[in-house]
Formats: sequence, structure tokens, C-alpha cells
Amino acid sequence: MNWKKFFTAFIATFVWIFVFGWVYHGMLLHNTYAAMPGLMRAQTDVQFPLIILGQVVMAFFFTLIFVRGFGSGGGVAGGFRYGFLLALFLCGLDIIDYAVDPLTTTVLFAWWIGGIIELAIAGVIVGALYKPAAAP
Amino acid sequence: MKRFIFAFIAAYIFMFAWGWLLNGVVLKGVYAETPNIFRPRDEMMSLFHWILIGQAVLILAFILIYASGFAGGGVSAGIRLGILLEIAAIGSRMAIYAVQPFPGKLLVYGSLSGLVEMIIIGAIVGAIYKPRIAGAT
Repeated sequence: MNWKKFFTAFIATFVWIFVFGWVYHGMLLHNTYAAMPGLMRAQTDVQFPLIILGQVVMAFFFTLIFVRGFGSGGGVAGGFRYGFLLALFLCGLDIIDYAVDPLTTTVLFAWWIGGIIELAIAGVIVGALYKPAAAP
Repeated sequence: MKRFIFAFIAAYIFMFAWGWLLNGVVLKGVYAETPNIFRPRDEMMSLFHWILIGQAVLILAFILIYASGFAGGGVSAGIRLGILLEIAAIGSRMAIYAVQPFPGKLLVYGSLSGLVEMIIIGAIVGAIYKPRIAGAT
């Protein structure tokens, strides 16, 4: 594994996930979340460091899975496909959450769409940045 | 394709049984401590098909990722993928816990049980799904 390329891809992915999460969940869906106060923590109780830690963990392992499984030639197209599949995996969890937690269908669909955009682009980033060295 | 379908069915049966045992029996008391953040039981049962669909989507995605980048490694590769995917999912779960008022112990129980679940699913998929070898009849 090329650690320098791995960490470059990991950091770029983390930055993308952080920015996307802030814009999509923090701004675009802000009013949707505000309409269901019983299901969300009050603004003052939101544990921001835990969000960052969760995003770091997510970005690190997202990159690691790609490098371990697709790193030998996935490229941008492979990264896009991988990101889409990982988003599909998390969509499964969202669907189960919907049946158990009193989420609205609007939130469920917003999480699907947001998750697919977020991780498909994250996959493109990882695929573009992590390329194994060409054989001599 | 046959092996793909067998792997899907075996992993799905395990996931369903595990989910029922863990969430429906073992953690029932923990969920009952915070009824406000969960749907009432009747409502949940009326949406039960969503749980089945969600589990199917999750297993399908797992096998597609395995088939795309890990197939050929057998049980150990399946287990490794299961661990890596679950830790990524724990990251996602941490961010949800940060904004939704779930009890902390549910995050811990959910993550530990998820890890065991994904290790076993990885082992099942790795044992059953094997890529077609080029040139094989």
C-alpha cells in the first residue's frame, strides 16, 4: 500500500464529507430537522466533536476499503461504483431506521439521495487520488 | 450467479434471525427505556416490510462490494470486509448519535453487535461466493 497516496486520499475524502455534511444536513435540511424536535437533540446538546470523529472514522475506512479491494486499478470509475455501493449499504441501514424511528419519508429520501451523492463523489475522489504506481 | 444468490439467501437468513434475536429479544428492555424516540410497537409492525427491504438492500450491497474487490480471498477476505464495513458504519452511527437523543449504551451495543453480525455475514459470503475462474468450464 502506498501510504502517502492513502493519507492524501483519506484527508481529501474527509474534507469532502465534512463540507457536504455541513451544507446538506446543516443548511439544506436544517428546517426539516427543526420540524421534528423530539427526534433531534436541541442545538446546544448537539455533540459536534462526535460528528467530526464519526466523519474521520467513516472517511478513513471508506478509503481503506477502496485501497484494499480496488486499489490495484479501480481508478475514477471504480471509485464511483464503489462509492455508490457503499451508499447502498448505508441506505439499507436508513431503511431499517425508518421502520423503527419515527422518521418522515422526506427525511428517508433525503438521506438516500444525500448519501448516494456524498459517497459516489467520495469514491471519485479516492479513485482519482489513489492510483498504484505504474509497473516498471 | 448461482453462488451469488446462495450467498445472498444464506446471509439474509442469518441477518434476519440475528436482528430478531438481538433487537426483538435481547435489547427489548433497553429500547423500552426510551419509548419517545422509537415508533410504537403496532406502528413498527405495520412497517415491518421496510425492515425486510432494508436488510435485503444491505446484504445485496455487501455481496456486490465483496464481488467487486474482495472475491477470491474466501472466508478471511469476507471477514475482513465485514469488519471494515462495520467500522465505517459505526462512524456514520456516531454522527447520528451526535444529533439524535439515543442513549449512549445503544450506540455501544449496536456497534458491538453490528461488528459480530458483519463478521459472520462476511464469513458466510466469503465461504459461499467464489468468482468464476477464467477458462473454467
